[in-house]
Amino acid sequence: MKPNPNLSGTPLGLPLAVLRASLIAAAVTLTAFAVTKADPTPTLEPAVLVTPDDMGTGALLFKSTEGGKYLEAPRLKTDVSIAVTGPTARTVITQRFENPTDKWVEGVYVYPLPQNSAVDTLKMQVGDRFLEGEVKERVEARRIYEKAAREGFKATLIEQQRPNIFTNAVANIGPHETIVVQIEYQEAMRLDGDKFSLRVPLVVGPRYNPRPNVALVGYDVGAPIVAVSDPVSDRDAITPPVIHPKYGKINPVSLRVALKSGVALAAIESPYHPVKVDRIDPKTANVTVDGPVPADRDFVLNWTLAPNALPQATLFRETIGGDSYYLAMIVPPAGAKKTRQPREAIFVIDNSGSMAGESIRQAKAALLMALKELKPGDKFNVVRFDNTLEVLFNGAVPADDEHLGVAVRFVAGLDANGGTEIFPALQAALADSTPNDTSRLRQVIFLTDGAVGNEDQVLAEIGRSLGRSRLFTVGIGSAPNSFLMEHIASLGRGTFTHIGSETEVDARMTELFNKLESPVMTDLRVADGVKLETWPNPIPDLYEGEPVVLTAATPAQSGRVRIEGSLGKTPWSTSLDLATAVEGKGVSKLWARSKISSIEALRYRGANEGDVDAEILKVALAHHLVSRLTSLVAVDVTPSRPTGETMTSHDMPTNLPHGWNFEKVFGPEIGRPLIKASYEPMMQKLAMNEEPATATKDGDGIALPQTDAGTDLALVIGILMLASGTLLLLAFRARTARS
Amino acid sequence: MLSVLGARATDLLLRGGEEARASRRLAVIAAAIVLIVVGAAFTTDALYIRAKAALAQVLLERAWATTLATGQPTKAWSWADTWPVARLTFPSLDRSAIVLEEAGGEALAFGPAHVAASAGPGASGTTVIAAHRDTHFAFIKDLKPGDEIDVATPEGRTVRYRMTGSAIVHAQASGISAGGKTPRLALVTCYPFDGLTRGPMRYVVFADALP
Repeated sequence: MKPNPNLSGTPLGLPLAVLRASLIAAAVTLTAFAVTKADPTPTLEPAVLVTPDDMGTGALLFKSTEGGKYLEAPRLKTDVSIAVTGPTARTVITQRFENPTDKWVEGVYVYPLPQNSAVDTLKMQVGDRFLEGEVKERVEARRIYEKAAREGFKATLIEQQRPNIFTNAVANIGPHETIVVQIEYQEAMRLDGDKFSLRVPLVVGPRYNPRPNVALVGYDVGAPIVAVSDPVSDRDAITPPVIHPKYGKINPVSLRVALKSGVALAAIESPYHPVKVDRIDPKTANVTVDGPVPADRDFVLNWTLAPNALPQATLFRETIGGDSYYLAMIVPPAGAKKTRQPREAIFVIDNSGSMAGESIRQAKAALLMALKELKPGDKFNVVRFDNTLEVLFNGAVPADDEHLGVAVRFVAGLDANGGTEIFPALQAALADSTPNDTSRLRQVIFLTDGAVGNEDQVLAEIGRSLGRSRLFTVGIGSAPNSFLMEHIASLGRGTFTHIGSETEVDARMTELFNKLESPVMTDLRVADGVKLETWPNPIPDLYEGEPVVLTAATPAQSGRVRIEGSLGKTPWSTSLDLATAVEGKGVSKLWARSKISSIEALRYRGANEGDVDAEILKVALAHHLVSRLTSLVAVDVTPSRPTGETMTSHDMPTNLPHGWNFEKVFGPEIGRPLIKASYEPMMQKLAMNEEPATATKDGDGIALPQTDAGTDLALVIGILMLASGTLLLLAFRARTARS
Repeated sequence: MLSVLGARATDLLLRGGEEARASRRLAVIAAAIVLIVVGAAFTTDALYIRAKAALAQVLLERAWATTLATGQPTKAWSWADTWPVARLTFPSLDRSAIVLEEAGGEALAFGPAHVAASAGPGASGTTVIAAHRDTHFAFIKDLKPGDEIDVATPEGRTVRYRMTGSAIVHAQASGISAGGKTPRLALVTCYPFDGLTRGPMRYVVFADALP
């Protein structure tokens, strides 16, 4: 374990600092980097201090007396209900927590979100107050929050500050009060071949979260173990979820999945939990977890689609007010995969300094592999850039032995050096001498870590001069700028591939080649039919293993929509009958999310920024989504019980505001003695108040953090010791020399 | 008589001294080595912390550029437990720094941190930003009332503040509240500036947003 930084203020601090410092110096000066794995067994102490980032599942954290550190509230019950509609899932998580102390505490609710998901609903009960999140314009939300806080109401605010974690502060939690939190999020799932996969984070307990520096990991007598490494690359290996025996009993989880795939289902399996599967019809099933859910692993559900059910389009509909929202999932026709089209491949390789080391090796390996994949009839060129730019051939050349030989030698000789000027390289790669040539697919394959600053300029250039080219980004290294590279790929109507380590080069590049060689469908567009507002716009090309997910809004409930595209050179079209749509909750949210990201991309095609913002704001507010411009602010909706009366689980349902559904997390109560036992040792660490704080009273003001890194003292001591040691030696030598 | 005694004593000392001197020499060398090693350790540790603080700001500049371009919070390195939320500029001192959100309590090692309980950077109310007196806010004592301070937000807005005064407060009773109708800034570092040990007192620079 790493040394506890919070000991530094205590009398123990100095000796520990000496020990730590000596070990660091020993490690650095001797360069004996005994890289060892950190002790994987986290303490089984009942309750430990954590940070919000440590949470693997939904948790309520109580503020402790140490800044930034929290104590996890006992979780009494968790209920998970998931509705899967085609490629989307809507998850409702309800969790019940308790303040086990006799005092007033302050907490923060944390939930790690799956990728591509958005929380749109938050309902919370704290003691006798009900809070419901409302989406408001970012600035207005803050104003409402500040006003409520000034007037002494309970209020919380969620702004989009973090891409992957949802946090929400809760003030004034009374002694032994119950806190119920319900959040809902919409998630878009990806189809991988014929398999869908759904994951619900359930892992309880702190994770060991090492920092990438010289860290003391053991005090073994005579053999201090010092790890010098970036431990994150194998974070999963060294941070097994804590198996917390107590939570097995006091945190029962109930979990249901209503699966409406829209396509005939083959296998449904849950690799980690026993489940009961009720098949309603070939396309629909209900999955319930059988018995208690172990809290030591995330829930995963995989389902595959029946093989011959694939080449069809499926439709889902949600009607809100007068508008219907549709979600179409079009799976590529199975026979189309083999048609290989001649290509004009432009490879761009980043050999700037940030790629030095493993990254450039991976990039070179990937590029050499790509050159080998070229077939006679293809054309190609290679561009390399750092702060200089070199285009290998004067225009695309035939992929014959002679040209390939030159290219292979060129690539093999590349070194990583210099700055990153991505923009001229992009311009060079997009410069197309035959923009109207439809006999070849023009593909630009960009290998980089994306460490650039002028992102707007880069994206704008793609918006301007993409033409018939398609841009495929290959992210190299452990921390590529994925955001930029995904953005480039989506604007460039290609795909993003991430290569994290040298061992992945083969597998990832093979996947990419399959996509490059056989784009399943291009030029997709909505043809005549019912008037629709469809997003994304334009529709991305279809590559192997990917379905096209298209959303549309229209007042119409019936009618036909024709979707056209090109399968290789063969025109393809399909007709969707709106009347055949299956009901799908959450489709409107996906439409809105898709619209927001398409509009965000318009910024790079020269749209007026003010117009873009206004449109995003309109969509986000109408569809209750947190976005760059909107926040969730939770205001006290119904103080529905008389003050002073304590809540019991018994009267809970009748007192719930209309439309609220919390009863699933009430039931037989178990484990209270365990809670007490697990909490008592840590009670003194909790920041507790005798009385509830009122928002109007400022009290002592904001507690200020410790702002001394301690380097002055360490330097003074260090230099003094060095000097006296040296003086001693000198004096001693002088004396021995004299006598 | 006396001189005889003196000579004997000297004799004794010299004869017994061979052994004593050898072990005394060892002890002195050992003490010197311990002093040098531990001194080097302290110095290395302190320099390491300062180097880390300086290096982090370079990486943070990059993350901040991304934040501005995308409007998305961007971590400077993938395992960071915090992310840039503002850029502080001190035109009068020709200094600037990227401010981190105080997420895991370890943000301060890498840059000035926005105290989460206070108002957001540039927003109405008091925004509290703290930094170590021996690294990122080492220059804060040179700020004078009337000096301007700029806070750039991730949305690309820049709010200009003017220093109104300073105060020395207790960390646990700062008297600073997050509320307020106009944007206010409180920059916090340890006090006294040249203190060697960690103390409870903080030096706070207050600044009000210019209309």
